[in-house]
Formats: sequence, C-alpha cells, structure tokens
Amino acid sequence: MSERKTDQAFWRRPAIADETEAHQIEDVRQQHLLLDPRYPLDSDRDVLDPMYRSSKRYWFFFALFAGLVLMMFTTWTVQMWLGLGITGLKRPTMWALYIVNFVYFIGIGHAGTFISAALRVLKVEWRRPISRAAELVTVFGLMTAALFPLIHLGRTWKFYWLIPYPNERQLWPSFHSPLLWDLTAITTYLSCSILFAYISLLPDLAMARDHTSGWRHILYSVLALGWRGTEREWSNHETALNIFSYAIIPVMFSVHTIVSWDFAMAIQPGWHSTIFGPYFVVGALFSGAGAVIIALTIIRKAMRLQYFLRTEHLEGMAKLMLLLSFAWDYFYFNDVLVPWYGQAPVEKSLFALFASGRVAPLFYLMIFANAIVPVTLVFKRVRTSIVGLFIVSLFIQIGMYIERFLIVPVGLGQNEIPFAWGVYVPYLPESLISIGAFGLVIFLFFLISRFFPLIPSWEVYEGQVLQGLRRIGRAILPTRAEPD
Amino acid sequence: MAKNLLIGLFHEATPTADTLAQLRELGIPDDCVTVMSGIPYRPEWLGRPPVRGRVPMFALIGAGLGLVTAFVLTWGLWLLYPLNQGGQGITPVPPTLIILFEVTMLGTMWAAFVGLLLENRFPIFKSQLYDPRITEGHIGVLAEVDAELADKAEAILKANGAHHLQRVEEKYPLFARPGNLLDRLKARVTTLFGPDLLQRPFWLVVAVGIVVLLAVGAFIPYGIFPVAIPTQMEHQVSIGFQQGPRLAAPAAAVPVQGPVLIAGQPASTPYPATADSLQRGKVLYDLTCVVCHGASGDGNGRLSGFFVPKPADLTSARTQAFSDSQIFLVITQGFGAMPSLAENLDVQNRWDVINYVRSLKK
Ligand code: HEC
Repeated sequence: MSERKTDQAFWRRPAIADETEAHQIEDVRQQHLLLDPRYPLDSDRDVLDPMYRSSKRYWFFFALFAGLVLMMFTTWTVQMWLGLGITGLKRPTMWALYIVNFVYFIGIGHAGTFISAALRVLKVEWRRPISRAAELVTVFGLMTAALFPLIHLGRTWKFYWLIPYPNERQLWPSFHSPLLWDLTAITTYLSCSILFAYISLLPDLAMARDHTSGWRHILYSVLALGWRGTEREWSNHETALNIFSYAIIPVMFSVHTIVSWDFAMAIQPGWHSTIFGPYFVVGALFSGAGAVIIALTIIRKAMRLQYFLRTEHLEGMAKLMLLLSFAWDYFYFNDVLVPWYGQAPVEKSLFALFASGRVAPLFYLMIFANAIVPVTLVFKRVRTSIVGLFIVSLFIQIGMYIERFLIVPVGLGQNEIPFAWGVYVPYLPESLISIGAFGLVIFLFFLISRFFPLIPSWEVYEGQVLQGLRRIGRAILPTRAEPD
Repeated sequence: MAKNLLIGLFHEATPTADTLAQLRELGIPDDCVTVMSGIPYRPEWLGRPPVRGRVPMFALIGAGLGLVTAFVLTWGLWLLYPLNQGGQGITPVPPTLIILFEVTMLGTMWAAFVGLLLENRFPIFKSQLYDPRITEGHIGVLAEVDAELADKAEAILKANGAHHLQRVEEKYPLFARPGNLLDRLKARVTTLFGPDLLQRPFWLVVAVGIVVLLAVGAFIPYGIFPVAIPTQMEHQVSIGFQQGPRLAAPAAAVPVQGPVLIAGQPASTPYPATADSLQRGKVLYDLTCVVCHGASGDGNGRLSGFFVPKPADLTSARTQAFSDSQIFLVITQGFGAMPSLAENLDVQNRWDVINYVRSLKK
C-alpha cells in the first residue's frame, strides 16, 4: 500500500534545509502573525496568563480609574439631588456637554462593528486578532453613551417614559420624534453588539474553561454553555456570525445617522443639514478607529500581547484611519461649503465665530487634529511606530470631541433670534461627569481584561490554518486559502 | 442494545478524514459520529456530510416578528390612541420606516442568537464526552458504536494514529435517535435533573430571574403587589388654586397692571444718569432695542417694517412723558407686539437703558 500524503498540523514548522530560504521564511514569519503559528496551548497561555497576573501597576491604574468612575457617579447623584440647575445648562443651550459625550461615545462604538463585521464580511485577514478588542470598544462606548441621555434627563427616574408600555394615561412615546428613533436604534445596536461579541467569545470561553480551575472554571463552564466544538456547533456558529455581520452593519450606519437626525431635524442654523447623516457616520468611524488603536496599543503593552498584536495589524488600522480622515475632510467641507454659499445671516455669523470669534482656537485645533495630523500617516515610519500611532489617535480623539462641541452647544447658542443668543461654558458637574465617562470606558476595559480573553484565539488559529507560503522567483510570499 | 462511546484525538486533519471514511465503511452511520475541534474545520474538509442548520430560518422568523412588533408600536398603538402632533398625521410613513427597520433588525439578530442556542442544544451543563485537549488544537473523533463493532472501530482509530483513546459504556443515548418521543424525553429529563453540578443551579437561577422579571414588569406597576415607591411628594409645599394668604411680591417686582407706582417702587430710576450709566445704556440699547426702534430711537429700526403698529418713536413727546417705571414695565413685560426683554436685561441694565432713552429726547 502506497503512503498517502498527509497534511501537517498547522503549528508544526517544517525544517528547511536551505539556509537562505530558512532566513527568508523566518523574516516573513516575524511580520505576519498568521504565518507564525505556535502550538495553540502556548498561544492560549499568552492570552490567559495576563488574566490572573495583575501587577502593582495594574492595581494602581485600576484604583485610579475606579476613582474616576466613583467621582462620576457621585457627581451624578449630587446633580439628581440638586437638579440640573447646578450645571451650565441654560437657555438657549439646553443641550451641551452631556450630548457631546453621548455623540462622542456612540461614535467610538462604531469602529468595533466595522472591524469585526465589515472586515469579516470582506475577509480582511488582519482583523483577526484585533476584533475582540474592537468589539469591546463598541460595547463599552455604547454603554457609556447610553448613560448620557439618562444623566441629561435631570430627573433620571422618569427615564421609563421613553419606553412604550401601557400606562394609565394611554400616552405612548411619539415615534414622530427623533428621540424615540434614538432609543430603538441604540437598544438594537447595544444589545446586538453584546450578543455578537458573546457569540464570537463562546469558543474562547470554552478554551478558558479547559485551562482553568476553581471559580474561574465554574464561571467559564456556565458562560461557555457546554461548547465542545462539534461540527454542528461550529457550523451554526459560523452561520450566526455571518447573519450578525450582515445585519449589524446597516444598523451601525443607522445609529449614527439617527444621532445626527437628533440635530438635523431641528431648524437650527448649523444643524439643519441633509448631509449630517453620512457626515456623522464617517466622523464616528474615524474617532472609533482612533479609539481602537489606543486600546490596542495599551493592551498590547500592558498585557504583553506582542505575539498577537503586531505592527501589521496596527498598520492596517492606520491605513483605515488615514482613509477615514480624508472622508471626514470631504464631508466637513461639504457641510460648510453649502451654507457658506447661501450666506444666510445667522450661518454667516456662525462661520465668523469659528473663523475669528471666541471659539476660533477650538476650531483651528479641530482642523489641525482631524485633517492635518492624520496626514502624517502617509509615511510608513509613522504607521509602523506604536508611539506615533498612539499620538495621532489621541489627536483624533481631541479633534472629534471638539467637533461635537462646536456642533452642539456652540451651534445651539447661535440661533435665529439674535437677542436670544447665548454662550455656554461647562460647569464643574458636567466636567467631572465627562472626565469620569472616559474613566468608565477604561475602567470597564481594566475589569474585563481580568475575566475574558481579549484575543479571539480561535479566529487567529483559523487564520493560521488557512495561510501558507509560496515562492515566486526569489521571494517567498504569504498566500491564503479561502474556504466557502 | 448496549452502545459504546469512543473518543480519540488526532493532530492532523488527513488521518482524521481517513478514520472517518473507514468508520463509515465499517457500517457506522454518519449521524453516530461527530468531530470536535478548537478550530472551525469545515465538514467537507474531513469528508463529512454538510451540516444543515436552521439558524437562518430562526433569523427570518425573528425578522417577521420584529416587523409585526414595529407595526404594532407605531401604527397599531397610534390608531388605537390617536394624538395628533407635529402636523404629520397619525401614521406618517417616513418615521415609521425608521422604527420598522430598527425593530426588524433587533428581531433578526435576537432570533439568530436564540436559534444558535436551540440548534446547538445550549446550554448543556451535564457532563459530556469531551477532552479539554481539543481546545489545544487536537481534533477529536467521537463515535457511538454497537458493542460488537466497538473493537473494530477502536482498531481503526488506533491504526490512524489516534492518541488518548477512550471507551465508555453508555447509559443514555448521546444522539437524539429517530426513536419514539418517550425515549427522547427520558434523555432530556436526565439532563435536567441528573446529578450534574451546574445543571440545577443554572435552571434555578433562570426560573428565579423569570419570576422577578414578571413581578417587576407586570405586578408592581399594575398594583398587584403594591409597593410604596418614594416620590418625595410629601416634602413639597402644596398650594391650592387661589389659596391664601397672598405672598408678598419680591423686592424687584413691578406690577403688571394698575397704578405703576406702588409703595416701595421707585417712581424714577434709582440710578442717576451718570456718564457710565449712559454709556452702558447705549451699548445695551444697541444690542437689544436697536433692531426695532432704530439707532436714533425714532422707531425705524431694520425690523420696524414687520410690525403693525410700528415700534414707538422713543424720542417723541408721548413716550418721553412716560414715567421711568412705565418704561421699565414695557421692557419687563413687553407691550403689544414688543416682546419682553427681561431675559436680556437684568434690573440695573433696564434702568441704564431707560437713562439712555431719556437722553434721546429731541
Ligand atoms: C422686536 C422688536 C422690538 C424690540 C427689540 C424693542 N421694541 Fe419697543 N416696541 C416695539 C413695538 C412693535 C412697539 C409698539 C407696540 C404697540 O404699540 O403695540 C414698541 C413700543 C415701545 C414703547 C412704547 C410703549 C407704549 O406704551 O406705547 C417703548 C417705551 C419701547 N418700545 C421701548 C423699548 C426699549 C427700551 C427697548 C430695548 C430695551 C425696546 N423697546 C425693544 C418693538 C420692539
């Protein structure tokens, strides 16, 4: 009987006789995670170990961010007790920092879906190790954002008036109002993002279950729902992930569009714009991509995940961000050019305010951070430098936050009735709550990093199974098999 | 007939596929064999029949349910309890589409999730035949074979290089047999009340959760379990309509009608017309009054054309004959078509403007 040719387990590295070829292959491996397989147990250890080893530094930052969260909730309680009067909200700017935060945090929630759903649909391979972190940015961003309408309510305990439930006055929330669209869109997006993240987490929970003992073992056993990795399980898993990917992308687009309609449906100069929908979506993706990069660089360093998170992944994100920066420029220009051409008096005054008025420094900082700083990403040097990327992403966060500030309270202060114009300055309560909100997102990351694997290891192994090498002339290049 | 369960682990995909082919030749039906792995190997890579899941069907049903729910929330409820608003009619189409889209998507995805759970029979907390090394990258072959074939099957696994071979006598069938319902139910019952550690606590928690949700969601709001929710209403001062005694007016108050001059109210401005006051007055006048009354106060401001009657000529003898308090009243309350400017000018500002208006006298 003749020997049949059998495949090699994907983590085995064949010995290469030729020395130059061995070097070449080693080089390619260094660059590409998917060509650099290891025995899965070693990789699993890398993913799991940081979950139970928390350094002093971890606890220091943990305490710091927990403190910020505490500060946020204390301030909120005080505000509930004393009323919204303690904030800087007054006519005409009844929407201010809370709404800015709402828009900003929903915004950073958009990149997660984009990376794990859209790049999944498009079969972009560098998404594999970063999709979990991106999904978590989405979930935490949305959770934080969802707090802000409640904080902004003042009488938070009346929040259930938004929910359609039968009540004795037979009044139903009005679906003619963008605020109800918001509620439905965010409910859909948040709950489905959590489910999406959970589904892709299932095999990793099973992996964690198999390598842990004690209370962790029980926790993961419950959460993994009895996952064994049978054919049927994998196949349904794949189908479910595909359905989610295709369904959640339009939802993602709809969410920030609806957020923009909260503004665009009002006949407020600077808000009443037909391009607000796509403009907001692009801005959201832009700031979200930056947020994901920030999260990745920190996770990579703090949890020693250099094996999984390589320059190629950050570079992929950087290219995405560069593209989104151009898209943002385009939409912003559109949004400004058309009203400028109209020369309506109030809009003119708004432009004057931006160009040379009291908010001019903010305006120019925004343009610098959103349109100019990201251009440095055309240089490979910047794209492949972790510090460089971190700084660029930070600038983008600042720029996008300012953008929302200029739209919400500044735009609202300059309405059609000049004698009712107003200047909004954030007071202490909303400033503390906003700072606390950033703390909350980071705190949730700190917390989750001790409980759930931040790298979707099964996705990485799947990628490693499908990748191979191919010689073309003198070069050795990565190739990829595509199932389906 | 007694059944045996066999599990073997492999490193590579090819020997796994060979094993599976040989097991089939041995006469073990495909649905008595399953492959477990830590990586999604597609069934066709291992020469296995494709899995036909019904998750998409669940998603479709969910989409339908979502669509119906959205219709009930929008058109259904608003036709039942009409409340006209926004000049859009009771059932406007564009906003409806938004809600339809969101709720349909919600239904689709939630149903896909439920479908995933049901199709995989999740959650399973009873002990299953499994090997933790599978998440380390090994491929496990699990076969349910009749006792007389077990030795041969084991030999096939061994010949193809399976390590960690295990063989277990099975009490209850592992795979749902096409057999009668009672058998299948029996298998279910053992999973529910078996000796396994987590199964019972889990369902207990689920049951308690459902009861609590029901209680909160239905019983409390409808007063079936009356709960005194603190509203703090008892701490608020409650004053009935026209209830006495009448409260004294605040110090800066100006009467709306009747004699302008009442006790304690300055008849003329309490701020002398100093150069400072006039200068402030001019600035404020140019901000708040000029659009209507014009720079010189003659009532020909830019907006004056829009008013019938026109804004008063502040330089005229008629207006100048007003007492200071009367002008104060006009600014505070508005007059006819003139809006109240109380928000734009605080009390001192108003007196400054009045000083300035006085200086406009022809
Ligand atoms: C929006 C336009 C507008 C603005 C701003 C405005 N006014 Fe007038 N004002 C009017 C009009 C219109 C009338 C005439 C009302 C009528 O006769 O029904 C009027 C009337 C008056 C009168 C005469 C009232 C009377 O009893 O006949 C006085 C005094 C006056 N304005 C003072 C002021 C001062 C002082 C300011 C600035 C603080 C001011 N107005 C700002 C529109 C305006």
